[in-house]
Amino acid sequence: MRTGLLIAATAAVLALAPDAHAMKLGIVAFQMSSETHARVANAAEAAAKQKGWEVTLLNSRGAMPEHAAQLENLISAKVDAILVAMGKPVETDAQLAQAKSAGIRVLTVMSGTSPHTLFDIQVNEYEVGAQAALYLLGQLNYQGGVLLSRFEGNVGTRIRGKVLDAVLSENTAVKILDSHGMARTASWRDDVKAGMSALLLKHQGKIDGIWASFDGQAFVIDDVLQGMGLAKGKLPLVSVDGGQEASARIRDKTSLMTATVAIPFERMGTAAVDALDRIVVQKKPKDDIVHGPYLFMGAVLVDASNVPAEGKWPW
Amino acid sequence: MAALLSLRAIGKSYGAVVALSAIDLDIDAGDVVGLCGDNGAGKSTLIRIISGALPPSAGEMRLDGRPVAFASPAAALESGVATIYQDLALAPRLAVYQNIFMGAEHLRRFGFLRLLDKRRMRAESAHFLARLNVDLPDVDRPVSDLSGGQRQAVAICRALRWNARLVVMDEPTAALGVRETRQVLDLIRELHAQGVTILIVSHNMDDLVAVTNRVVLLKNGRKIGECRTAAATADDLAHMIASGVVP
Amino acid sequence: MNRLSEAATRAFIARYGTALGAVAVFVFFAAAAQNFLTPGNLAVVLKQISYIAILGIGFALALTAAELDLSFANVTSLAAVATGTLVHGGKPWGLAVLAGLAIGLAFGLLNGLVVTRLKVPSLIATLAVASIANGFAFMITGGVSIVGRWNPDFVFLGRGVVLGLPILVLWTAAAAALALFFLKQTRTGLHLTFTGEAEDAARLAGIATRRMKLLGLGLSGAAAGATAILLTASLSSAAPTSAGDFLLTAIAAVLLGMTMIEPGRPNVTGTLIGALIIGMLGNGLVLLGAPYYVQDIVLGIIIVASVSVSASTLTKAAFHV
Ligand SMILES: Nc1ncnc2c1ncn2[C@@H]1O[C@H](COP(=O)(O)OP(=O)(O)OP(=O)(O)O)[C@@H](O)[C@H]1O
Ligand SMILES: [Mg+2]
Repeated sequence: MRTGLLIAATAAVLALAPDAHAMKLGIVAFQMSSETHARVANAAEAAAKQKGWEVTLLNSRGAMPEHAAQLENLISAKVDAILVAMGKPVETDAQLAQAKSAGIRVLTVMSGTSPHTLFDIQVNEYEVGAQAALYLLGQLNYQGGVLLSRFEGNVGTRIRGKVLDAVLSENTAVKILDSHGMARTASWRDDVKAGMSALLLKHQGKIDGIWASFDGQAFVIDDVLQGMGLAKGKLPLVSVDGGQEASARIRDKTSLMTATVAIPFERMGTAAVDALDRIVVQKKPKDDIVHGPYLFMGAVLVDASNVPAEGKWPW
Repeated sequence: MAALLSLRAIGKSYGAVVALSAIDLDIDAGDVVGLCGDNGAGKSTLIRIISGALPPSAGEMRLDGRPVAFASPAAALESGVATIYQDLALAPRLAVYQNIFMGAEHLRRFGFLRLLDKRRMRAESAHFLARLNVDLPDVDRPVSDLSGGQRQAVAICRALRWNARLVVMDEPTAALGVRETRQVLDLIRELHAQGVTILIVSHNMDDLVAVTNRVVLLKNGRKIGECRTAAATADDLAHMIASGVVP
Repeated sequence: MNRLSEAATRAFIARYGTALGAVAVFVFFAAAAQNFLTPGNLAVVLKQISYIAILGIGFALALTAAELDLSFANVTSLAAVATGTLVHGGKPWGLAVLAGLAIGLAFGLLNGLVVTRLKVPSLIATLAVASIANGFAFMITGGVSIVGRWNPDFVFLGRGVVLGLPILVLWTAAAAALALFFLKQTRTGLHLTFTGEAEDAARLAGIATRRMKLLGLGLSGAAAGATAILLTASLSSAAPTSAGDFLLTAIAAVLLGMTMIEPGRPNVTGTLIGALIIGMLGNGLVLLGAPYYVQDIVLGIIIVASVSVSASTLTKAAFHV
């Protein structure tokens, strides 16, 4: 009975597998349950399938040993190229070297660089941080008091905070009233809610704007503000990431969400597939696409003036 | 000659409940003694005291004339008192020979290591079973494959393995069919024939009359008397228990 | 005669049905997936299953004493970050290895003490200890993984090739051989088995059942420590959640193993074959181009199927909480 079940399951898989001879691409997302990883991987999968490639999409479930094992399995599968979303090139150095010696080209997205990979597609977090900070200051007309919701536990959000500090140090008429540093726990939403509610009450009437290090925090703060009865436009609320929910809130008449810097995760996925197309299929040299180990993609500031319709992206 | 086991003024209370009081009992080497009484008379309590599972609240216990106080059933086993419990205390999924040697395995030297001597344990198991006239050719079979009577045989072999001088059996024929009961009674006779002393608890008067020399009667935690079974019938015993009077 | 051979066939299927299933999976992938049967790929599969095989053997030893160890994955992660921190800090790698093993063993014994002394059921006790281990792992690392180019002698423990085989395969074989020898040839191993099979009977026969439970859980912890070292060396890195994923897969290997060889009971050979089935599926499905969610679905089906098969013979207190 159980053997039958297994065979049925694997037979179903067989039926899903497309024909040979097409370009074979393996995509490894480090953690599909994280929205940003999934957005890169799913966009890349769609772009590759559109080109008629044979795609294997894998999820390392956030586990290093699984990540390494999947790279090994893809090398065994003799794919033509591997795309890694939010991977760990240093930890998987051995596997990446093995891929290189097997003639498999590896491209990474937001992972960092490695001597064994082509290059890494990134957004420039410093630029992203500067866009968010300068937009907020423009809304305040470069004066007033702001509340900050920070997160030091992630490189990207940390850099955004540091860039904000740099911008504020040049614009001294804007004062930081208070800031809340989010704890790294599973219940981070509760932490943001409790911390920011307290600060909002404490500085009631003196707050001119709010900055959040990523959209998830901004959504929690938005809900608190709405609960306090504040109306749209009362207080600028700015953050970074730019998914569908951020756009929906910017469109929503009751939300206080003002702007986000949208990181083009989907475009990173499609750009990766395009780059692999040119390098692996059309056999162009890598330097035709980018010099050096990074390909930086621009992030798009989204506010009421350019917010895309539901299901659409600002790029 | 002193009795193999003698109890003097043994008592046991559970808080306010007096389960046993002032029990005197002598069991001679080679004897087969029965213990009977109504539900709650204190039979299991007495057996657990003898087997080391329960410390008495009062009284003295002597083995071969020397006072003893068993700290655990394992300590009793080492002194030669083996108890076969109502639920048999076997590991059903393990092999017959493993059960017979449970807790008392034979070892052999292997370099500086001491390993299980399975060949010797298998051979001796077969030998113990043969001594009891039990036909059980494969000692590697799990106990769960065996009939109730065969399981009793395995439990009794465990007592033989320990060289037990006194084997205590709590309701050995409860939950057995007619044929299996007869098998177990044969086992007891066989054990007796080999000089092992036996104490049996049973509700079944016919069984007691069939295999024991003597029956001790308990009622409400007290010993109401003794009766030689050669001269008594099962009905006599039942009547004594009901009336509480031993002629 | 006919009935006898029918019963024999049924007994054979009960004992080796899943093992035949493993052969079927092997044959299926060998036929369906182009690169499955290459020596390189088979070595990859054997190497990949070593972690869950060793962890599974540890789990099976605890389960042999009728105790569940749900902490082994977190304990592995903790021992890994401790080992990684020491190697990364330039300490002698031998010391780092000892530290990893000691932490694994210590947490295993902690499980055992909580279960045998404080009388907390192992299901709860080991979940709590898992949380403690997780806390320490984050305390040591602050959530950041430890990565580096480390002493090649240390890295060899996980990445080396000996006699043409990945060294991980040899470690697994050694762990399995040791566990089998212990269970089948030594008195202590048999007492561990008695403790799990019939605790009351074992205690009445003078077996130190509490010490056996302590030992079973301690050995599971030691297996976690050993796995942590191999994992850290092999990845040349350690993260506070490195091994979290192994909880389900290693237990699945043991449960699959309980459907064969000694049906209904945790056993070493079955665990190895179970791990092999899981490894072959993980690898073979990738070779066939199956997307990631199919693997999750297949793994779930395996667990349900194997527990439903072994549940009929499984009357262990461990699974009744
Ligand atoms: N652990 C205990 N705590 C309190 N009272 C107990 C305990 N064990 C037994 N008793 C009481 O002691 C008395 C004797 O019980 P015991 O089990 O020895 O009787 P028994 O003769 O074996 O009965 P049965 O024929 O039903 O097996 C009973 O009144 C019983 O309720
Ligand atoms: Mg009783």
